[in-house]
Amino acid sequence: MAQAPREFSVVGKPIPRIDAYERVTGQAQYTGDIQLPGMLYARVLRSQHPHAKIVSIDTSKAEKLPGVKAIVHHENAKVPWSSGGQTHQRFIFNNPVRYVGDPVAAVAATDRHIAEDALKLIEVKYEKIPHVLDANEALRPDAPKITPNGNLSVGKGSASAPIEESWGDVDKGFSEADRIFEDTYISKHVNNAQMERRVSIAKWDAGKLTVFASTQGVSNARTDIAKDFGLPLSKVRIVCKYMGGGFGNKNQAQDYDYMAAVLAKVAGQPVKLEFTREDDYIGMHGRWASEQRYKIGVKKDGTITAVSLDAVTNMGAYRKSSGNLSGTDFYNIPNFKKVVLPVHTNTVVAANYRAPSYPQSVFGFASFLDQIAHEMGINPVDMFMRNRIQKYKSKTPFTSNFLEQCILEGSKRIGWQEKWHKAGAMGGQKKHGIGMALGGYPFRPGLGAATIRLNPDGTAHVLVGVSDIGTGAKSTMAIIAAEALGIPLNQIQLTNGDTDVTPYSVGESGSRSTSFTGPAVIAAAEDVRRQVFNRAAGQMKVKAEELDLRDGEVFVKVDPSQKMPLERIVRNAGELIGRATTNPAFKDVEGKSFSAHFAEVEVDAITGHVKITRYVAAHDSGTIINRLPAESQIKGGVTQGIGMAFSEELIIDKVTGIPINPNYRDAKVPTHLEVPEVEVIFIEHIDPFGTFGGKVVGEPPITAAVATIANAIFNATAKRIKELPITPDKILQARQV
Amino acid sequence: MNDEKGSKFSRRSFLKGLGSSAIGTAVVSTGLVKTDPAEAYSPETSGAARAQKALNLKVNGKHYKVEVEHRNTLAEVLRDQVGLTGTKIGCDRGECGACTVIIDGRNMYSCSQLAVWMEGKEILTIEGLAKGDKLDPLQEAFIEHDGPQCGFCTSGQIMSGKALLMKNPKPNEAQARRGLSGNLCRCGNYNREVAAVLAVAAKAR
Repeated sequence: MAQAPREFSVVGKPIPRIDAYERVTGQAQYTGDIQLPGMLYARVLRSQHPHAKIVSIDTSKAEKLPGVKAIVHHENAKVPWSSGGQTHQRFIFNNPVRYVGDPVAAVAATDRHIAEDALKLIEVKYEKIPHVLDANEALRPDAPKITPNGNLSVGKGSASAPIEESWGDVDKGFSEADRIFEDTYISKHVNNAQMERRVSIAKWDAGKLTVFASTQGVSNARTDIAKDFGLPLSKVRIVCKYMGGGFGNKNQAQDYDYMAAVLAKVAGQPVKLEFTREDDYIGMHGRWASEQRYKIGVKKDGTITAVSLDAVTNMGAYRKSSGNLSGTDFYNIPNFKKVVLPVHTNTVVAANYRAPSYPQSVFGFASFLDQIAHEMGINPVDMFMRNRIQKYKSKTPFTSNFLEQCILEGSKRIGWQEKWHKAGAMGGQKKHGIGMALGGYPFRPGLGAATIRLNPDGTAHVLVGVSDIGTGAKSTMAIIAAEALGIPLNQIQLTNGDTDVTPYSVGESGSRSTSFTGPAVIAAAEDVRRQVFNRAAGQMKVKAEELDLRDGEVFVKVDPSQKMPLERIVRNAGELIGRATTNPAFKDVEGKSFSAHFAEVEVDAITGHVKITRYVAAHDSGTIINRLPAESQIKGGVTQGIGMAFSEELIIDKVTGIPINPNYRDAKVPTHLEVPEVEVIFIEHIDPFGTFGGKVVGEPPITAAVATIANAIFNATAKRIKELPITPDKILQARQV
Repeated sequence: MNDEKGSKFSRRSFLKGLGSSAIGTAVVSTGLVKTDPAEAYSPETSGAARAQKALNLKVNGKHYKVEVEHRNTLAEVLRDQVGLTGTKIGCDRGECGACTVIIDGRNMYSCSQLAVWMEGKEILTIEGLAKGDKLDPLQEAFIEHDGPQCGFCTSGQIMSGKALLMKNPKPNEAQARRGLSGNLCRCGNYNREVAAVLAVAAKAR
């Protein structure tokens, strides 16, 4: 991995996004903004039954509607949709349908209203099959089977398997404990709810498929589509330049990309398929709901001796992600045993949403730890500090770990020592509370690629496959390139997100853009710098190793007055191209970004309403490449955590299986009025394995937020709400402990 | 299905190449469920033959002649016919504010306004804020304060902020939040958007 310079010239400063101008003027062209000649509009018909066989589909009336150009369904478009890998394979249209929202048909027409009209003219005969909505009920032997394997989801192979992890000896750990606590925490299905609805535009030109996708990963989308359509990679092009958020539910290629492609093929015209907001809530996925049963053994001083976690996660009708729970990751647990059962039910699919396995289980574990601290008379900050993780699984060191400093700096900023009081100790109607929790997210390097072209005028063109879903990844890559090249940022142009043009990228998921593609950008810069120095050496009559490049000028390191403009060197070469594919790996170390969050709340004892009065988020993400969007990421993650803590839940009718609130208003995402100023602290340092010392930023901030707020509410009320979301009625009905 | 389209392409041959596999389709004619009744939609009143109404729209000071159906919203006409795609549609049901434009000085959800209501009204969209190359101060503040993350709500946030500043050039923080509160930002960048409005307000003081 590239050696990090101690003094950065571009890295670490607050820099406006390189595409900010386009984003504030309406010029940024998102997928849905693209208009192609002859383009049709498509909509999707979905099952209204949680589990049913499709007996017949009659499209004759819909076909007669003027303007309708193509109708596809399970009989005439048996396209497998296997993206996500870990899944039991599914099709873009399935029979039987397995949840309310499972796609039944898609229509392309000359206008979106005609497509919607046509959906209403399709007559579908269903034969209902018994269904199961509750994850625990789904595990009973007599439960209706949703997959041929039953309802315990398949593991990495093809057999049903729980997720199991253990180290140490939990029985021994519990025998060493002074006290043992057991309790259950519950989280609900929460939708990613990104502002841009799902949209895909597909067109075929002489056997080549182009998909303008709203995807977090163009390379993976291409791989998935090529595989499932039986096309060579060279015949599939995926383009995504601007992307209106995803938070994990636009990874890879999704069924709407496939449907658009099939409709476009059938109609012989380009097709734009767009979800409605309701489609978006029920037709893709949200965060998996969970029931977490913990047993925790502690010494008198609060030191954890053992933890066991038995959990059930509700993955909905199809498996697209792990279903794991990882909230115990931030604690030193010498003896550990975890069994998580990912379960299928006839409900909306659950899969990746920002730090997929974390906020719901950080809520469970950090709430419980806070509860144990209360019952043992320990100040929570001491409980968290004492049990904070120091080594991975108690043995492997981290590349860097500044979790202690996060706790110290964060608690100091919020004034923990002065403000903390015993739970429920404050009188009056508006009760003050303060709470905290620990979070973070794994940091790991991996496969990345980049190309840098130096133009004859000394400017540079960086090509990377990354998407920019709102994190500022394009800017991050440009900054890394500017730093590594020694060329001013304003002389760097960046092209991203087009598989015909840009090199491989893992995709913007798992907080991996900086750690996977960043090293490749640095290596490509080094490659092209070597070419520059080799050419300059002859002209400047020095050895290549004696040269450096900064601010667009090549100079002799020991005598910077001997210099030459970069453009003179490149002009003679026509252009110079640097390329790199990098695949760094960790050996005997583990990586993680860490955080400690702190909140103060005011709980109205009469209405149960909670107001967050202060929020401090302290983060160890190593070097902060670009402070401006990095701080925005932290603020945004906390904001999503606030929604998950207070209000968000996709509610499924217990009889019919129909989601009853699949829209912004009723699923209650946070607005300007609920979100306080989020104070961000970065504990900056240069991680020895990071890209210019940087670890990960995007996913960590949501992880601790829910538990932090829950613990602050407990401190205010002495009421432990063990089921999300923490609504006023739950607070009013709960009993003080 | 339209015959001329159907003849261009054999679905069977296409799907053969897709690696399809059979899905069980036992036919039992119970549990018949119809979707909405077809009767409400006849080819005469629905589909491509629907009546169009000529309309004169005034957007960002320019006049546009468009042909619309009664059911077309201002948001879709702006995007699909006028070609101003800076106005986004996030929910299409008056909840998220991504489609916010300024109509006769008021910020409104253009997804919840029918285009046929717009005759004689002055419509201002995100594309109309800059004067040539000179950005509106609120756009500049959005750049400086990192107002957009994904950017999809940004046009709406800016238009609501602009409408607020047109009425009240010096809002305080509570007023700024209230003024933007009809605009959701799922990236959770509320702090930044309010900061940008307050930065413009501070310069007006």
